[in-house]
Amino acid sequence: MSILILLLLGFLMHATRSFSAGGQAGASGASLALGYVLLTAFFAGGVFNAMRLPKLTGYIAAGILVGPQVLGLVTERMVSQLGVVNGMAIALIALTAGAEMDMKAMRPLLRSIAAISLIAITGTAIVLSLLVFAMRPLLPFFAGMPPWTAVAISVVLGVVLTAQSPAVVVALRDELEADGPVSRTVLGVVVAGDLLVILLFAGASTVGRSMLGGAAAPVGSLAWELLGSLAVGSALGLVLSLYLSRVKEGAELFLLMMAFVCAEVGARVHLDPLLLALAAGMVVRNFSNQGDTLLKKIEASSLPVYLLFFATAGASIHLDVLGTVGIPAALIVATRGLSLLSGTRFAARAAGASPEVTRWAGYGLLPQAGLALALALLFVKTFPEFGEHARALTLGVVALNELLAPVVYRWSLIRAGEAGARAKPEGDVAPIPVRGNG
Amino acid sequence: MIGHALLLSLALLMDSAGGPQPDLASELVLVEDTSAGTVASLTSALGTALAQPLPPVTPEPSIAPVIDGTTGPKVVIAVEKRPAAVIWTILGLLTIAVLAYVAGDTRVLRLEQSLGISQVITAGFPFVLLGMIARSGPVGILNDEMLAELSPLLRLSLGWIGFAVGFRFDAQLLGGLPRGTARVVAFATSLPFATVLATTAVLLLLTTGLTEASLRDPVFLRDALILGTVGTMTAVTATRLAGAAGETVHRLLRIEELAGIAGLALVAAYFRPTGEGVSWQLPGTSWLFLTVGLGVTVGAVVYAIILRAKTDAEFTALLLGSVSFVAGIAGYLHLSSVVVAFIAGALFSNIPGAPKVRLGQALERLERPIYLLSLVVIGALWDVGDWRGWVLMPFFAASRLGGKWLGVRFGLPGSGLFLPADARNALVFAPIGPLGIAIVVNAQLLYPGGSISRIVSAVIGGAVLTEIVVQLRARAIRDRVAVDGVDPAEGRP
Repeated sequence: MSILILLLLGFLMHATRSFSAGGQAGASGASLALGYVLLTAFFAGGVFNAMRLPKLTGYIAAGILVGPQVLGLVTERMVSQLGVVNGMAIALIALTAGAEMDMKAMRPLLRSIAAISLIAITGTAIVLSLLVFAMRPLLPFFAGMPPWTAVAISVVLGVVLTAQSPAVVVALRDELEADGPVSRTVLGVVVAGDLLVILLFAGASTVGRSMLGGAAAPVGSLAWELLGSLAVGSALGLVLSLYLSRVKEGAELFLLMMAFVCAEVGARVHLDPLLLALAAGMVVRNFSNQGDTLLKKIEASSLPVYLLFFATAGASIHLDVLGTVGIPAALIVATRGLSLLSGTRFAARAAGASPEVTRWAGYGLLPQAGLALALALLFVKTFPEFGEHARALTLGVVALNELLAPVVYRWSLIRAGEAGARAKPEGDVAPIPVRGNG
Repeated sequence: MIGHALLLSLALLMDSAGGPQPDLASELVLVEDTSAGTVASLTSALGTALAQPLPPVTPEPSIAPVIDGTTGPKVVIAVEKRPAAVIWTILGLLTIAVLAYVAGDTRVLRLEQSLGISQVITAGFPFVLLGMIARSGPVGILNDEMLAELSPLLRLSLGWIGFAVGFRFDAQLLGGLPRGTARVVAFATSLPFATVLATTAVLLLLTTGLTEASLRDPVFLRDALILGTVGTMTAVTATRLAGAAGETVHRLLRIEELAGIAGLALVAAYFRPTGEGVSWQLPGTSWLFLTVGLGVTVGAVVYAIILRAKTDAEFTALLLGSVSFVAGIAGYLHLSSVVVAFIAGALFSNIPGAPKVRLGQALERLERPIYLLSLVVIGALWDVGDWRGWVLMPFFAASRLGGKWLGVRFGLPGSGLFLPADARNALVFAPIGPLGIAIVVNAQLLYPGGSISRIVSAVIGGAVLTEIVVQLRARAIRDRVAVDGVDPAEGRP
């Protein structure tokens, strides 16, 4: 039935678009795309769930299928028109991630989180940098580049390709109703890892730019983006706490307003929307008693947010680049995966983490989405001489990780026995089967 | 069943569309035997008007991005201004939080009551103000580019209002109606339509220059018809003022909503925009049939989709997607999103076995947030600089109230339907409501630029004005009852 509805929706979308001369539909196009993407992603998620795959992979696959790269039912213009809505979706996901970061509950895991973040993520950045440097003959943009400059650019690319995805981690946690040391550790690591990757990127790109003879980005602007985002996000978190505790009425509207501010005002003043919302969510969770209220308010709108975010991410994937960078991208994906898994095992063991965390947490670091793409865009701006080619490589890697990694992480959460644990009474740690898994 | 004047308009429009419809139009005109002479001359004027094409869909620069949906690169704030922008943003959010807190205080509520603005606030009009402030120069968050990106929200809210109104239009409303209901509804819709049409037509002509050509101008006729249609609308919240006859008034108002939907459908079908983006050229009647056919088709699809939802979250997601999809399809065809979504909602509501309770809850849960957010966008879009809109506003509000009074005054006697004084007053002194605002905003999306901004000013301003009048009137009645023990409204309204 889901497939029939998908076909029917596709037919309606195609028929509607044939009415407009030259496809110039303006605002109606955005509304049409919003509805079509939400519905298509929902039913595709159902089909994937029936195949024991993550629903969010279905959302991404739906986006790829109906997007500009394959069927073209949703055009690039429509995808860009959904920018604000998508930005707000990212902010809401980051708010959720922040509100899940209960420092008191995570205290026993902090040692493992710190160790994994430092060893696995920094280690993977180094490994990937070496791999990119070694693959220079396969990457045309390195042609004729002096060796030390090539080293610097390889390091920047290595850092970009290491980035994780808090969005996928949060969404899969919700989808599977998972809870436990593995999912909590993974959440902590991907949030800390994001900060680390941004810091590493800032440092590496500054060095790389100066080696190419250009003006390095001023330290002040980097500090503004990182520390400013955290500080302003904390202030927003305090305002949000105040609203949730004192006003209560209309909290959903205020949350949407907050997400809008993070996404739009943040982008205009060069603050990172993800960090803004993350910091706000963490402040609400750890400096007020409104964390659960915040999660409850977001929960009501979480499904449309995930549908939209992942389907739009899918529609933005450039599959065409895989034709040119397919082999290097596949090599990077494999190496990144191996490095993150072994680095996590080593770090977790060193930090004395539980066997579950040691065995399964590494799989949660594999998904990749927004941050890597954002850093790739920044890479293009910083190194316009060859940024576009390098961006294609990043897009290829993200495309593969976006499709494959959620499947692996879902499997690992089920195997770790944490799937469905959120729905169980406290103290009951026995693994339970996940809906749709038999 | 629907308003006297709307029936007339249908006949006239069908006649003037030319081609194969003149016989049918003549038959309909004959129904209105008392006004045949006037009809003949008006038919001629409308026929001439509709023979001329409307201006192409080329929006004015002030709202171009919203209508066109063109998005460009984000405007980045200069480095030296960033700290100030951040501080102002945080202060803005803090102010909203404090205002929301203060608004719940009993002393503030009492003050609002005494100023006669509590209903204006409850109806969400502060959100219009918020949009205007956010758009204004010093703040400037809702600039053209941002409004373009928020445009799906506006269309979604139009679709949502249409779908909700349709969903609540149960066919059983029409069954077992008290005798004389049809007459009351016909008068209560046609007379406000006529008074608003006449008053605003005179003003529109005066403000745009009174010439013979302006009488035959399709833009003038279109604007007058839109204003007339909005004038017939009454918020369903008026039911609470109707006392014991609340149920009857509720049914009357639901049927009245049908007149507004029909009016908008007719305007959208017969006053077609032209331009590069419009590929199909069909007679108006064909567009009308297409509107109904589309509404029924997408309604059936929405039904099949919603049946798949299992949890509340799935209901919300599928409903949001369905309404946005329906509104988008209608917009793509330059048809009214409100009307097509209404038909889909009405179909859903009247199919046996549909999960109406859960759908109703999902609709209700999101209705107000979506409406209030759309009011912010509407406020940002509102061109308050055109004085002609402000001139139109009090006349629109007054002629609407006058028409409502006439409708009840002449519709009730002889209908056999008894309505107590408070119910009659509820029908006369009633706010315009979300559907009226949705109709005019939908018209703005259908016909961007030009004179439509004046209509928006008149309707939004008129809605605020009416809310204040309604509340002052209600308070006056309460005070008189408290002092004299007698309801001054007893007898004729």
